Amino acid sequence: SVQAHKEEDNPEKTMEVNGLAPVPNSYDYDLIVIGGGSGGLAAAKEAAKYEKKVMVLDFVTPTPQGSSWGLGGTCVNVGCIPKKLMHQAALLGQALQDSRKFGWQFTEEVKHNWMTMTESVQNYIGSLNWGYRVTLRDTKVTYENAYGEFVGPHTIKATNKKGVEKLYTAERFIIATGERPRYLGIPGDKEHCISSDDLFSLPYCPGKTLVVGASYVALECAGFLAGLGLDVTVMVRSILLRGFDQDMANKIGEYMTEHGVTFIREFVPIKVEQVEEGTPGKLKVTARSTTGNQMIEGEYNTVLLAIGRDPCTRKIGLDKVGVNINEKTGKIPVNDEEQTNVPYIYAIGDILQDKLELTPVAIQAGRLLVRRLYAGATAKCDYVNVPTTVFTPLEYGACGYSEETAVEKFGEENIEVYHSHFWPLEWTVPSRDNNKCYAKIICNIQDNERVIGFHVLGPNAGEVTQGFAAAIKCGLTKEQLDSTVGIHPVCAEV
Amino acid sequence: MGWEEVQVRGYPEFVRTAQRYHGRPIFALFCGDKDAEGRSWCPDCVTAEPVVRKELHNLPDESVFIYCLVGDRAYWKDPNNEFRKNLKLTGVPTLLKYGTPQKLVEEECFKAELVRMLFTED
Repeated sequence: SVQAHKEEDNPEKTMEVNGLAPVPNSYDYDLIVIGGGSGGLAAAKEAAKYEKKVMVLDFVTPTPQGSSWGLGGTCVNVGCIPKKLMHQAALLGQALQDSRKFGWQFTEEVKHNWMTMTESVQNYIGSLNWGYRVTLRDTKVTYENAYGEFVGPHTIKATNKKGVEKLYTAERFIIATGERPRYLGIPGDKEHCISSDDLFSLPYCPGKTLVVGASYVALECAGFLAGLGLDVTVMVRSILLRGFDQDMANKIGEYMTEHGVTFIREFVPIKVEQVEEGTPGKLKVTARSTTGNQMIEGEYNTVLLAIGRDPCTRKIGLDKVGVNINEKTGKIPVNDEEQTNVPYIYAIGDILQDKLELTPVAIQAGRLLVRRLYAGATAKCDYVNVPTTVFTPLEYGACGYSEETAVEKFGEENIEVYHSHFWPLEWTVPSRDNNKCYAKIICNIQDNERVIGFHVLGPNAGEVTQGFAAAIKCGLTKEQLDSTVGIHPVCAEV
Repeated sequence: MGWEEVQVRGYPEFVRTAQRYHGRPIFALFCGDKDAEGRSWCPDCVTAEPVVRKELHNLPDESVFIYCLVGDRAYWKDPNNEFRKNLKLTGVPTLLKYGTPQKLVEEECFKAELVRMLFTED
């Protein structure tokens, strides 16, 4: 009935122009957003504020294991939200152990129930999915659970899960399709391995797990799985946390090793075979060394691949409208106003080339873009000094340059690094590590010792880092930092 | 088969009724008690009820619509009442799809579009 309505409304939908492809001269929508994740929803909601006619298309292609999810994108469904909740579950397990030293007495062994945790997490995610649908409906944004792809100028085709196709036109488009986990391309990977897309809704405890990869996804997942009491091994091809400060990355690795995670360094899996069916079953992984011909084998209940994420830009018809993408990576290059090479098509979020892949960045970019389009604003998204946090068992918060990048850009002689280990007061009584938590700042000597890099490894790193990010944005110098009196007794005073 | 309505009062009766219809889609509207003239102590419930009733024809076949009076104002205000504790209700009126996180609370129930979405979409 929607299709019939459209044909009646726009009988002269297209017109030939000198033999070029037909161009619609009256559009169905002011704006169509392809992708209902962090960036897409923020942009759509903002556009609705300016009374624009907006449509959001969101569709999740199920994983090889069959997992799927509702409106909200990666962060809400298979990223930040469930990750942080499961990280918290693991921290609570540690807190229960610590509590005995603070006087709490309980005789039972403390055990973890995967299903209880997963059901609670999925229930919360369900309420978020529903909340987004209510908000979109309430703000008169049209939402379709359909796969969007360009078929011609200003025109997309939306295909729902029953295969029904509809065409829509819009004056402008925002591509916010995000990414999906990469597979290894080895025998048995899609049949037997899972990814982060499957982990947070896994209907059985993963058991003894091999995590392949050294990204923050790999380390965060390995971290909380180990914290929940599972036997976890991480297989790393070369370095940990590529792109992050390597000094900090190594400290994170050391901490995880000392707390029960096994690392197999400089190996890559070459095949995964099923030994036993089951939930979980048993898998045999064969791996080869990256430095020689040595081969090893191991048996695990679950193999979790976390080797990277690829943008969803290859199958959305970008060639039909001439949008350039980086052929090698799939990322979309944009100017500083998030505009692609096609003037009426914009892109935001994880799919952008050379931009940080973070929810708040996508949201900010989406909102500012829409304000520039419809509210006459001029502010552009500031991608500099964006703070981030890695929620490994020992959390790592950072803002600004890593030590290596600072040295490369400014020269070693122009950088001063101030650092300190610290022992959180809460860790003293339960006798937890006294020299693992660590903080450092990197200063530019030539610019008044301006703080250009902030790194902290310790509990609540995200909470600590947020405030410092604001200070760095204001041009914090070492002297100002020194003259700021600390709060006692907290980690952040260091 | 169409849909059917069941009217209940109080938490135990609600739970028994929901269990009896296990397996069918269950929607429930929770309102404050009504006085002898049929008016609820909850003004938002008075506004919401006709809006919800007007959309009932959109209910999927086989559904059950449970119209549940929760109790008097004093009972409702008690932060430990069973509806708050066990069903996690935060306000009346609440319209929900039982067994899912999908619900509409207070002013959301005044909006026919949202009620229709709750009844008809997955």
